[in-house]
Amino acid sequence: MPVELLVQALLNGFALALVYVLVALGLTLIFSILEIINFAHGEFYMLGGYVTYFAFAVFGLSYVPTLLLAIVVVGLAGVVAERMIFRHLRGKTLNAFIVSLGLLWVIQSGAQLSFGVLDKSVPSAFSGILRAGGIIISVERFVVILAAAGLIAVLYTFLQWSRLGRAMRAVAQDADGAALQGVNIEVISMLGFAIGCALAGAAGGLLAPVFAVSPAMGALPVVKAFIIIIVGGMGSLPGAVLGGLLLGTVEGIGALFFGSAAVNILGFLMVIAVLLVRPRGLFGVA
Amino acid sequence: MMKGQRHPGWGLMLAVVLLLGVAGPAPAAEKVLEIGVLGPLSGGAASYGVELVRGAEMRADEIDKAGGLKVGGDVYKIKLITYDHKASAADAATAANKLVFQDKVKYIIGNAVGATCNAVQTVTEPQKVMFAFVCWGTKNLGPDKPYSFRSMLSQWEAAEPFYRWMKEKRPAIKKVAVISPNDTSGLDTNTAVVKAAKGLGFDVVSEETYERGTKDFYPVLTKILAQKPDLLDVAAAPPGEAGLILKQARELGFKGAKGWTAGVNPATLVSIAGVQAAEGVWSPVNINVKSDFVDAKVRKFGEEYEKRYKEVPGVIAVANYGAFDVFTKAMQEAGSIETEKVLAALTSRPYDTVWGKLVIGAKETYGIDRQFLYPVVISEIRGGKTVDIEQVLPAALKALQK
Repeated sequence: MPVELLVQALLNGFALALVYVLVALGLTLIFSILEIINFAHGEFYMLGGYVTYFAFAVFGLSYVPTLLLAIVVVGLAGVVAERMIFRHLRGKTLNAFIVSLGLLWVIQSGAQLSFGVLDKSVPSAFSGILRAGGIIISVERFVVILAAAGLIAVLYTFLQWSRLGRAMRAVAQDADGAALQGVNIEVISMLGFAIGCALAGAAGGLLAPVFAVSPAMGALPVVKAFIIIIVGGMGSLPGAVLGGLLLGTVEGIGALFFGSAAVNILGFLMVIAVLLVRPRGLFGVA
Repeated sequence: MMKGQRHPGWGLMLAVVLLLGVAGPAPAAEKVLEIGVLGPLSGGAASYGVELVRGAEMRADEIDKAGGLKVGGDVYKIKLITYDHKASAADAATAANKLVFQDKVKYIIGNAVGATCNAVQTVTEPQKVMFAFVCWGTKNLGPDKPYSFRSMLSQWEAAEPFYRWMKEKRPAIKKVAVISPNDTSGLDTNTAVVKAAKGLGFDVVSEETYERGTKDFYPVLTKILAQKPDLLDVAAAPPGEAGLILKQARELGFKGAKGWTAGVNPATLVSIAGVQAAEGVWSPVNINVKSDFVDAKVRKFGEEYEKRYKEVPGVIAVANYGAFDVFTKAMQEAGSIETEKVLAALTSRPYDTVWGKLVIGAKETYGIDRQFLYPVVISEIRGGKTVDIEQVLPAALKALQK
């Protein structure tokens, strides 16, 4: 098999995996701070897609402000969800699981009723193709890679060095201890949930022009995000990035050898293997 | 008898006679005929379901506006019962059970996506429920399924004349790549396309499948385009996914010819793929309701549909409208809504429908005459619009017309 084909396959896998890492990071951030697994997280990704559709495709706003708008709007939706629902469920994993499933259906059905069931096309924000030898990537996907990598770097910087980021990490490690040190748990929970949802909104905004938007579009990214988190380790940012890159590699190369229909199976096989060998994931803490 | 005394019975009889004279015969009792419509109304194949429901609604409303469906001595108002199965076979079986056992329907007019039809037939055939669908797959029709009808041409009727046309009119095309979803209708379409293409001497260099709902086709396209095909046939891909495949193929540098053997609803394909990536797509199944190639009744249907739904109908809407029309006409012909009698009436002669003279045939392919047959119109997408370029006949229709 030509090397160019392998490199192309890897590039194909990485481009989307980085976006799914954004979704996974939001999910893992929310889990770390509120100890809940938000199954409706894909619906926030979908909301990001629809904000992009309306702002960019319908009202003609340019793309970068549109993406920022998607991040802000979905972040605010996260604030509402946390204030109204999830703050009451902090630490109640099972209750939150059931409620988030319900929220998933409510948001998805609401989108179906409001926006219709058909796919809505978002025009390409960036046209053209980049070539390097036999390797090809559209400018649109290249921008998606850069934007996703940039957002991951911003999140890392924020969590690592900002006062609020440190407070979030403190709450994630020991909420009671953080509260004793004067950290306002409620504010941090709200902020963590909002940032988690905003990341999903950014992912939706980035991929809306690449694919299309539909009420059911959140299902696939959230499944990929769970694979990434389980492989990388729950609550670990470097783990999520590594999990995403591994998933991209497996899916990109796997599609070449086993066909695209087998790609989803390969992701789950990877999850099974990791859970058997290292149940806490590659970077997870026992 | 005293003079001037009247017999009281005469007055009463006169009143009855007058009343009968004014009112005529006793009015037929108005009843309700419940008809099921299934389809994917959400997810990637939702456009199929939406068109199925709209096609049925159009005909049902016409019937009701005309005073109802007169069958024998009864007049029926039509009530549609619609369920969304999300293109899932399991959900389709559940919906069929609901329709047949809970809603007690005897007719299901409308369904799409092959695997869901198989699931529905496990309920409809034993219960002798008549079932019209647009699903593709050889196994959906057969002597063991006498109550099932396909109301739209399938790949088995369309692929051969389509590739024959290509061989004659586009001789530069030698290498063909085919991609479809990996379910019943997708696999069956790939089989039909490959058989037709190979039979006509084309070199099929790639035959790929994918999971329905896939959004990223870069991996599979990388594999396909490495074979350098002259033609990429997005055979059974639904419009949204076909649009994504063509958009991404263009991003990966594909500049060859594009086919869509199962192509329906080109407007959705164009909206997803973009005008440039959709340019030049040929389809033998698609229909342009504004074209001179189609029957005047199709054009009229298209105008009414566009007025009502603000969209141009695709072939599935026309097919389900036609199926509804044929089934209800057969009920009138049979003078009954009993499925056995309607079945006998339906298969006895051609019906004048939206397609023109509709023949139900193709026994040589399926072992039973249950396929609606009408001419194939090959269309091309040009500047985002569908343009019809040639009309050809499916082999089964050709054979019947000889």
